[in-house]
Amino acid sequence: MATSAPAPGTRIVDREEIRSKLLSLVASYLEQPVTDIQSDVKLVEYGLDSIFALTLCGDVEDEYGIEVKSTLAWDHPTVDAITDHLYDTLTAEA
Amino acid sequence: MRHSAYRVAEEFDHLLGDPRDAGRLFSHARSLVLDEREEFPLEICRELDLLGLPAHYVPVAHGGAMRAFEDTLQIMRGIARRDLTVAIAHGKTFLGAASVWVAGDPRQSRDLGAEVLRGTPVSWGLTEREHGSDLLAGEVCAERTADGYRVTGEKWLINNATRGDLVCVLARTAPEGGSRGFSVLMIDKRGLGPGSFRTLPAARLHGIRGADISGVAFTGAEVGRSALIGAEGDGLEIVLKSLQLTRILCAALSLGALDQALDMATGYALARHNHGTPLVGLPQSRRLLARSYADLLTAEALTVFAARALHTLPGELSTVSAVTKFLVPTLAEQALGRLSRLVGTRSLLLGDTFEHGRFQKVLRDHRIVGIFDGSSVINLNSLVNQFPLLARAHRRGEVDEAGLHAAAGLADRLPELDPGRLELLPRRGSSVLHAVPAAVAELRSLAAAGEVPASLARRAVELAEVVDEVIEQIGRHKPVPVAAPARSFGLAENYARCFAAAAALQLWLRNRSAVDSAATHGLWESGLWLECTLTTLLRRLRPTRTEHLVAGGGEDPEAVVDQLVEPLLAQHAAGQLPSLLPYSRLGALV
Amino acid sequence: MTVIDPSPRQAERLGPLDELDTPEPLEALFGDPADPGNPVGHQAFVDADERGDFLPAGRKTLESFGIGAEFVPRALGGRLGQADDLARVLRTVFRHDGALALGLGAINLIASSTVWAAGDAGQRRWLASVLLDNHPTAGAITELAHGDDLSRTRLRATEREGGVVLDGRKEVINNVARAHAVTVLARTSEEPGSRSHTLFLVDPAAVPRERMRFLPRYRTSGMRGTHLGGVEFLDCPLPASAAVGGYGDAMETILRCFQVTKSVASGAALGMVDTMLRTVVDFGTQRRLYGRSVTELPYVEAELADVFTDLLICDAMTTTACRALHVLPRQTSVYAAATKYLVPEIEQHAADRLALVLGARSFLREGPHAAFQKHFRDLPVAALAHSGATVCLATIIPQLPRLARRSWFTSSAPEPALFQLGRPLPDLDFGQLEANAGPDDQIVATLLDVGQDRVTDPTLRTLCGRLVDELRILRDGWRALAPRNRTPFAGPVGFELAERYAVVLAASACLGVWWHNQDHPNPFMRDTAWVVSALDRLTVRLGHEPLPQAQSATRQVFAELLSRHAEHRAFDLIGRRLH
Repeated sequence: MATSAPAPGTRIVDREEIRSKLLSLVASYLEQPVTDIQSDVKLVEYGLDSIFALTLCGDVEDEYGIEVKSTLAWDHPTVDAITDHLYDTLTAEA
Repeated sequence: MRHSAYRVAEEFDHLLGDPRDAGRLFSHARSLVLDEREEFPLEICRELDLLGLPAHYVPVAHGGAMRAFEDTLQIMRGIARRDLTVAIAHGKTFLGAASVWVAGDPRQSRDLGAEVLRGTPVSWGLTEREHGSDLLAGEVCAERTADGYRVTGEKWLINNATRGDLVCVLARTAPEGGSRGFSVLMIDKRGLGPGSFRTLPAARLHGIRGADISGVAFTGAEVGRSALIGAEGDGLEIVLKSLQLTRILCAALSLGALDQALDMATGYALARHNHGTPLVGLPQSRRLLARSYADLLTAEALTVFAARALHTLPGELSTVSAVTKFLVPTLAEQALGRLSRLVGTRSLLLGDTFEHGRFQKVLRDHRIVGIFDGSSVINLNSLVNQFPLLARAHRRGEVDEAGLHAAAGLADRLPELDPGRLELLPRRGSSVLHAVPAAVAELRSLAAAGEVPASLARRAVELAEVVDEVIEQIGRHKPVPVAAPARSFGLAENYARCFAAAAALQLWLRNRSAVDSAATHGLWESGLWLECTLTTLLRRLRPTRTEHLVAGGGEDPEAVVDQLVEPLLAQHAAGQLPSLLPYSRLGALV
Repeated sequence: MTVIDPSPRQAERLGPLDELDTPEPLEALFGDPADPGNPVGHQAFVDADERGDFLPAGRKTLESFGIGAEFVPRALGGRLGQADDLARVLRTVFRHDGALALGLGAINLIASSTVWAAGDAGQRRWLASVLLDNHPTAGAITELAHGDDLSRTRLRATEREGGVVLDGRKEVINNVARAHAVTVLARTSEEPGSRSHTLFLVDPAAVPRERMRFLPRYRTSGMRGTHLGGVEFLDCPLPASAAVGGYGDAMETILRCFQVTKSVASGAALGMVDTMLRTVVDFGTQRRLYGRSVTELPYVEAELADVFTDLLICDAMTTTACRALHVLPRQTSVYAAATKYLVPEIEQHAADRLALVLGARSFLREGPHAAFQKHFRDLPVAALAHSGATVCLATIIPQLPRLARRSWFTSSAPEPALFQLGRPLPDLDFGQLEANAGPDDQIVATLLDVGQDRVTDPTLRTLCGRLVDELRILRDGWRALAPRNRTPFAGPVGFELAERYAVVLAASACLGVWWHNQDHPNPFMRDTAWVVSALDRLTVRLGHEPLPQAQSATRQVFAELLSRHAEHRAFDLIGRRLH
């Protein structure tokens, strides 16, 4: 995954960009085309279990340069839910 | 082609019926109950007597049915597939008798043959409480009397010492001992004077809990002159030659144990789900299964070769038997460890939760195979002692072409077993290792012709390099009596691995066109099993460094092994046990 | 509620490095295990195991010591402060009997840690009183059908009429029918995922008996004295207050608490290998083969020295993992799992090699060496009793890419207190632990700090150089690894690279322990021989040839082994006299 954390404060937050970033992240883990991943399906349905879900938090932290709860993907179990949560966090910060 | 040894074994096994049927005498349920109660499997042994198993311990020349050693070995493997306790309890008679087949006179051999056929258990008394494997320290002594010997002393941890009517004993006949100070006596306990011997209680064991591993103490027991096997003073030599036979037979126990465990683990991996996927679909679990199968195939190929070499390369058996007795139990132990990791908690549970508790029993039972009749340490030490001879012979590079060909070619007729031709030292080295360059060349031309993958030829070339390195290191080894340096044991392990790889190479080359590829589910085609055997042995010979693993986003040096899962599952589905050659599930016939 | 009596069970603990000629109080209660007349000696434990029960005198010994208090945080009147202290106390029990150590020891930590981490004040006080009275407890977490995959738990808890109703069963649970307190993992939502489970603290005396029944005992090939059972709840009502923490919090609580249990259990189980090694050295020094004593055979000398080195490696790794729970609590998700993978692996291999040296006697359940056989059959049960190798590796695999990206060669070394055996640490704080590791692998940073910058011994420098190279290769490898190899579907390469990380972690722990304990009263622990041997063995695991220069270190390790054996000292980092 490319890690290009822009300096905080200068970021323009785009909901669709977050969603597509997350979708491609999940697709790459599953080695499936991104078109096969649905943003409203729970990650656990793709076989990405509790431990894996925890590591998403690390990826997100590294990508956006923010701190999130390690249980991010447990509490927000779909790509859509994580997207909304991240969008709110990032806009609040900006 | 159906290999005759496997067919003979299958036919014998069929007589015992389906072990899952609790109504059968030799059922899993009975085996487990006997084990828990530490009860000797008397009825099952009696059944094996009635079905004619003892005849397979007696060479044809002495009135028995043993023509090819590998028939006996495969039958024994079949028994071990059901219960190692029974295989060890019953098969001991062959171990006890072996010295007579090696050195007995015609009358002794005929008489013993008749006893064995009647079902008389024969025991083999080598070890003593204070001396273990150090046979030359043995204190049991036989003093010469007017018409025979007077025997005094105790043999301990002897299989069937209590049950055995006959005990073949190694005794000191010269007070000063030494290599010519010991003799072999076949003692008939039934004929001993009252009070001149007593048996010692059976030891309580970790595995094979029902077995009679006990002892016998003689106090001035008078035996006749006819009890002496071979000449006085020949004892050590006779025992060492007999061990060449029995150490190969021990491989049957390891194969049977691993057959059972792999069959149970395969069933489990198909039925059990994790993360919503059957275990057999998860890469790491597949690998544990496939890697264990590769170990079984390696062990099986070596065993088949060794059992036939007994007939065709008797002068090389001191090496072959030590390699087999070290490597086969070691491979089996490794594979059992992997399979218990796959099976998890159930691998340790007694009772009905998983396979009647057979898995934990086989884990416990198999431990003895690497310890008794010469432990792994003893066999490696014996190889270390052969290093100078092996290195010199390798440089000469002589190959007994006919002997090697017949040892590997399953369709070849075996010459009759002649224990008299066994030798204590491998004067001519190991034909199979000397023949590696030629075999590699053969494989390379097959690769060039597109009959086998180039990856297989590369493995073979790598093997040839490793053999040269190992022989070179062996040549530099300075012999030290008794106190062999610790590093030489690792070298002996590597020698054994090279030997197994070379034997596999021969076995595949000599039989590839004869084996029915459909019936073996692709194991033989394009050399799949051979490539897996070479790959896994080479990984131990040349350990993988991390940089090779991470090359190109994660390079898997054992990836080819996973291709074994398909034939493994196909055999499972076809009602066969996992094996190099077709073999049907217990109690059934193909 | 019981009034907590602060004494007399709260004897001051001896500092780990103080008065090494004085046995630990609990060890002193067990006395000389080889004495055939000792009611809590090896023979008594072997006999009890044959009967399939705890040795009553052994249980009494633990009760008189007040074993339960070891699991109760000091703030609640117990003695639980430091995880490495607890591991050492339990190691003493494992040295004598695995069944007792597991059944009356380690199991209590599995049962109680979730309550210390997430329970309310009332639950904590009640559980503390149960343990301070030395009553057994049980953790009914796993179900046989799902093994370590806890998210698939089937036992259900449903809210009903202001309370909760439990329905379903738990199998292969230690002590469940004897426990005075049971923590139960239940499903509280049908949704898949990790927010659907809740822990409940059950007082078996307070629920209607007809709604709770116990399953027949499970028996295992080792630890035959433990009481594994099962429990079935049949619409069993509980008060709403039985929930431990919030609804849906269980998986998170367990992931945090299991870091403590994995680290402590790994350090404790070393006691079994200590006894096995001691038994084989007994045998080897007494027995003669080929005209000399067995320990004079070069092969045997090398094997025994290697096993002693293995024990030191394992102790360094487990002690560091335990102390990291206090010093680096955000990182221990990886440390605990790597330790719980590697340590049992090394232990089993060591046991196998010891069995070959002991020969036929390793197979006997009787006679002067029967303690070896008993520990030999107990060891695999202990390893599987709590998180097997595969699940531990699966825990760290997804976390390593981030450490590779963010931490290795970047993080700075930890504070020396992490490694200083005699340095007291603040009490264990479950609230500090995180379900997964942050990007700050300070233990491995020790490899660079000590291994690269401080070591002067040339052999040790060579070994450290190899390990630093390994870390670099692992860093690049994990960064480049195909993404699928970072998930539960990881291929064998992912697993193998995770195994190799664990080896580098162990080496880093050895270096840290060696460097930061140069005030150790035993000069052997200050000298380089043991750490050279340890690093040599670990690099061989990574596919390197053994260093010829390390051979003289092996001889020093062997000499220390014989002298500790003669003086009845523990084969660990401390080397305290046992009796």
